[in-house]
Amino acid sequence: MSVIKKVLKAREVSSFCFLVALFLIVGVINPSFLKAENVTACFNTSVVYTLIAVGMAFAIFTGEIDVSVGSNLGFVAAVVGTMIQNGQNWFLAFGVGLVIGVIVGLINGWGVAVMKVPSLIFTLGTNGILRGLMYLTVGVQQVNQLPKSFKDISSMTLIGNFSIYYCCAVLLTIVIHILLTRTRKGRYFIAVGDNAGGADLVGIPATATKIWAYVICGVMAALGGIIFASRIGIVTSLSGNGYEMKAVAACVLGGISLSGGVGTVIGAAIGAVIMASISYLLVFMGFSSNYDNAITGVILMTIVVADALLQKRAAVKNRRARLAARTEKVTKEAAE
Amino acid sequence: MKKLFKGPNAGWNSFLVLLLVLEFVVFGSANPKFLRIPLLMTASNDFISICIISIFVTMVMITGGIDIQVSSIVGLTSIIIGVAWQDFGLNIWAAVALAVFCAALCGALSGFFVAYCGVQAMVVTLGGSFLYSGLALLVSSLSSTEAYKGISGFPDAFKAISKTKVFGVVPMQIIIFLLLAVFAWFLLHRTKYGRKIYLVGVNQTAAEYSGINSRLIIMSTYILAAVSAAVAGVVMTAYLGTSKSDIGGNLTMNIITACVLGGTLSTGGKGSILGTALASIAIGLLRFGMPLCFKINTQYLDIPIGVLLVVVVVGRALVNMPSVQAKLGKLRPKKEKAGS
Amino acid sequence: MSEAKEKAPALLSVRGIYKSFGLNQVLKGIDLDVVPGEVLALIGGNGAGKSTLMKIIMGLYTHDKGELLLHGEPVSVTNTAAALARGIYMVPQEPLLFPNMNVEENVLIGFKQPKAELHKELVAVMEDVGWDLDLNRKAGGLSIAEQQMVEILRGILRHAQLLILDEPTSALTFDEVKSLFKVVRELQEKGIGIIYITHRLAEVFDIATDVAIMRDGIITIHGPVGQFTREDLVKGLLPPDAETEAHGAAEAAAPVDYSAAPVLELEGFSGYGFTNVSLKVWPGEVLGVAGVVGAGRTEMATTIFGMDKVLGGRVLLNGRDITGKKTKQVIEAGLNYVPEDRHLNGLFKICDVAANTTSATLYKGALGKVFLSRKAEREITDKYVKSFRTKITGQDQLLGSLSGGNQQKVVIGRSLAPEPKIVILDEPTRGIDAAARGDVYSIIHQLREQGVSVLLISSDMEEIVELADRAVTMYQGRINAEFKKGDINQDNLMAAAFGIAGEEEIGA
Repeated sequence: MSVIKKVLKAREVSSFCFLVALFLIVGVINPSFLKAENVTACFNTSVVYTLIAVGMAFAIFTGEIDVSVGSNLGFVAAVVGTMIQNGQNWFLAFGVGLVIGVIVGLINGWGVAVMKVPSLIFTLGTNGILRGLMYLTVGVQQVNQLPKSFKDISSMTLIGNFSIYYCCAVLLTIVIHILLTRTRKGRYFIAVGDNAGGADLVGIPATATKIWAYVICGVMAALGGIIFASRIGIVTSLSGNGYEMKAVAACVLGGISLSGGVGTVIGAAIGAVIMASISYLLVFMGFSSNYDNAITGVILMTIVVADALLQKRAAVKNRRARLAARTEKVTKEAAE
Repeated sequence: MKKLFKGPNAGWNSFLVLLLVLEFVVFGSANPKFLRIPLLMTASNDFISICIISIFVTMVMITGGIDIQVSSIVGLTSIIIGVAWQDFGLNIWAAVALAVFCAALCGALSGFFVAYCGVQAMVVTLGGSFLYSGLALLVSSLSSTEAYKGISGFPDAFKAISKTKVFGVVPMQIIIFLLLAVFAWFLLHRTKYGRKIYLVGVNQTAAEYSGINSRLIIMSTYILAAVSAAVAGVVMTAYLGTSKSDIGGNLTMNIITACVLGGTLSTGGKGSILGTALASIAIGLLRFGMPLCFKINTQYLDIPIGVLLVVVVVGRALVNMPSVQAKLGKLRPKKEKAGS
Repeated sequence: MSEAKEKAPALLSVRGIYKSFGLNQVLKGIDLDVVPGEVLALIGGNGAGKSTLMKIIMGLYTHDKGELLLHGEPVSVTNTAAALARGIYMVPQEPLLFPNMNVEENVLIGFKQPKAELHKELVAVMEDVGWDLDLNRKAGGLSIAEQQMVEILRGILRHAQLLILDEPTSALTFDEVKSLFKVVRELQEKGIGIIYITHRLAEVFDIATDVAIMRDGIITIHGPVGQFTREDLVKGLLPPDAETEAHGAAEAAAPVDYSAAPVLELEGFSGYGFTNVSLKVWPGEVLGVAGVVGAGRTEMATTIFGMDKVLGGRVLLNGRDITGKKTKQVIEAGLNYVPEDRHLNGLFKICDVAANTTSATLYKGALGKVFLSRKAEREITDKYVKSFRTKITGQDQLLGSLSGGNQQKVVIGRSLAPEPKIVILDEPTRGIDAAARGDVYSIIHQLREQGVSVLLISSDMEEIVELADRAVTMYQGRINAEFKKGDINQDNLMAAAFGIAGEEEIGA
């Protein structure tokens, strides 16, 4: 096994180690943290982040980004919440939510892949539109009369203290991971972000792949929205605000390269747990949750800058090695 | 004035002026209150930060970057002023200077990562928006005042920034905006520095081959954007009379929309101060007029702004897309390369 | 030999292919056949039309006239997928692998068949050709030779019967070249036809069964390798009327004063892509630097210009050490560079002519201290537009809308605007039409008269013969020959550029 493979493989493994180390450090500082319910709580609270981070991972794999997931999530939560509150059939509500996710994904995919608008700008626009639509749905009031039966699903546990939602999210992530790594089309997402020119050469449809990535991202955000409504029980006009940032940060923490082509959805899921845990852990360390954003920002910036520097160095080294090879050849020829 | 409309951007700028006129006509006829100058002038407080900041974010975008951290810097500036003044007992103007200086440092940090480490601007400024809004929260926790209340009771001299009216009509913040716009216009369109900004944005390696220190230029635009955000933070703090860590709210989309609507190319190399200024005013009027004339809740304003952004970028993509133009564009470089 | 060929069923036949881009005729009736088991070496200088021909075969370009036949049947290849389906695969000069995927994924991506089946086939193929490559390694960690093997595997697995290798050895080390040749021979034995594009004549005799030489869009020599000597091949690369005598183009101009102190001096200068280069340029001299693409000339120039790391040696400009200085300081010291890749490194396409011309003068006071002096800008631009006879509608015309020749004149003007003592012109006439080429030549003459030295990097030997007062050739990163004015002719330049003279020296 080559060294490079080891390093690359270590990406999500090191994220996981980081998470474990985080727990242990907090445990040392405040031993009362290291209880099963606290640790599982970290995982359980991460369920929404996990879903949107896995979705976001698809957009990032292809070398793009989707900053509309926060509002997408909020809008779906508002719509589904309102429908359920009004006594509509749950599954109809879920269906509508997922369809919204698909539509948002199609629009984003069209703008980015077909119209070739820079993804940040386009999804920033759809983000605004969705946020506005969400205000329209929720209005000045909140969605806060959700039936207890709907909210109670979130407190159901499956294995130990793990909530049924988190278990499903993990299962979904694993299934997606297997599909991504073991199927022909699954590899396309990574390939398009890895080397667009090479993808063209072997006949991979880059446009269609990107549209799919956005649709998946939209659907995952919609799922996140449904679970958000059930878990939190209240949907305000601010719900989901800034979640897109958390999702991007989770992907980065999970070892996904923002230049595309590198990473796994497992990494994104681990990153999501780290993101969700930070504020929880701060409380146990005796800090106020005011540190939450600053710490996230520091971690995020450190990782991307280190990543960029490593890549830059590798590229320069590669180029120089190639150039050096030319002159070295003469020396060898002469020696023979 | 005519002179300003010369050049490659002239057509677009005229369109923006038309848009402004249209806004006055539509909003004015829907509700004559809209045309009351004093009211309009006062209302400008609500959108003046968009105008001030987008002018300098335009420069960032001309270099091919983007800056989505500015709104968090607005809040950081505001809270630093408050805490430095109230809890550290600094003179109010010293507090303002300190805040502006801190903002410049924030801009320099992000700019350094973008220019010298080669990280995508979007990612760095995303991290920056976390970091600086987080810092703002931390600064606010240094204060004895509860964060959600905000620090108030500033001296009148400071509040005068937004209360003073030149000639009794034009409020100070508009004067500040105009001064900054003129300054930026000179900087971008009339100095060698401005020329370098364009050249770096059009082709960074060619700029390097021309002996231009492209990295320094790129970094400097982030500092300028951060300082403009600080100025907006000062103006807003003075207007609201309270210092809070989150007064920047979510300006990002409005700012980017103003830049893009103003004719700035998101891939860099193209954009103008006049265009952005006009576009930002158009957005401001929209934000003022819609609730006033059509009773649209301010919270819904993200819809028209978002639609505007999407329509502009897609429209521009469409203009560049027709197969004829795509073919023409492809032929030209091929012709050159074919020989090699 | 042509009879024998007609009898053998040709894999690919190219018949009377014409192609032009605008007024520039790149291919003027190309006929070519490749039979199974043939290794056809395709040689040609820059601009001979090799890449255009290959792109037509791959379906990236469409030809204007003529036809392509596969197994004797006319076909139209309109896109890459069609070419792949018809069993043609091109290994590009720079392999296009997915650096973050492993070897197996890289080979198998894009196939429709089940993975297990493909895996079996891949293993079988690798055993068949006797390659040992760990399928689980990440492509990013492979050497260039291994990356090329992966590309070739992609081709074999697609049942390619015709493989095009585009300068496969240009970035390979000595051992890698050996292993690549082994692979080529194995493929040849399996009856795969190969088009092998190269710049190195020595390789032709090592690996090829047939050879074809392209020059200016026609094939000048074509036949089995055994029929030709190296000298024949060199001749085929030259224009038919090439004078083997020294050209006396600069005769009217004043002779260079070699007793004066040199303007530019390189002493054992080394960097990435070139080693131990020593040369001197005197005031008012045009020094030609000949060589093929990848010989290290551009790398040398850009390293002098402060764009890459210096590994050793010194650069003296008027006796002042400028080794490893930043670009801005090098320009200030009086040296400027016109880049080889105009589009990538030279042009500000969406800026106007004036902004382009003055872009390198922004560092000094010529355009004003802080504010941009429009007047000075206009004057400088006007000076270069007029003296170069650049065709523009006005100084505010965008550079992207100019023709290639006029763009090049603006780029040259830009490098002269800071009034350098020496200017390095890197392939100044590539991709521009004949009239503009003449204008560029007269610019070089003008410079010479003004006492400005020129380091003329060119792969066009005719150009060097015509313009240079002295010439050196670079081969694989070193200077392998130097010619005084009287000795410069296309024959010996070409021979040295393709390493013949150099190899003899090394062998001796």
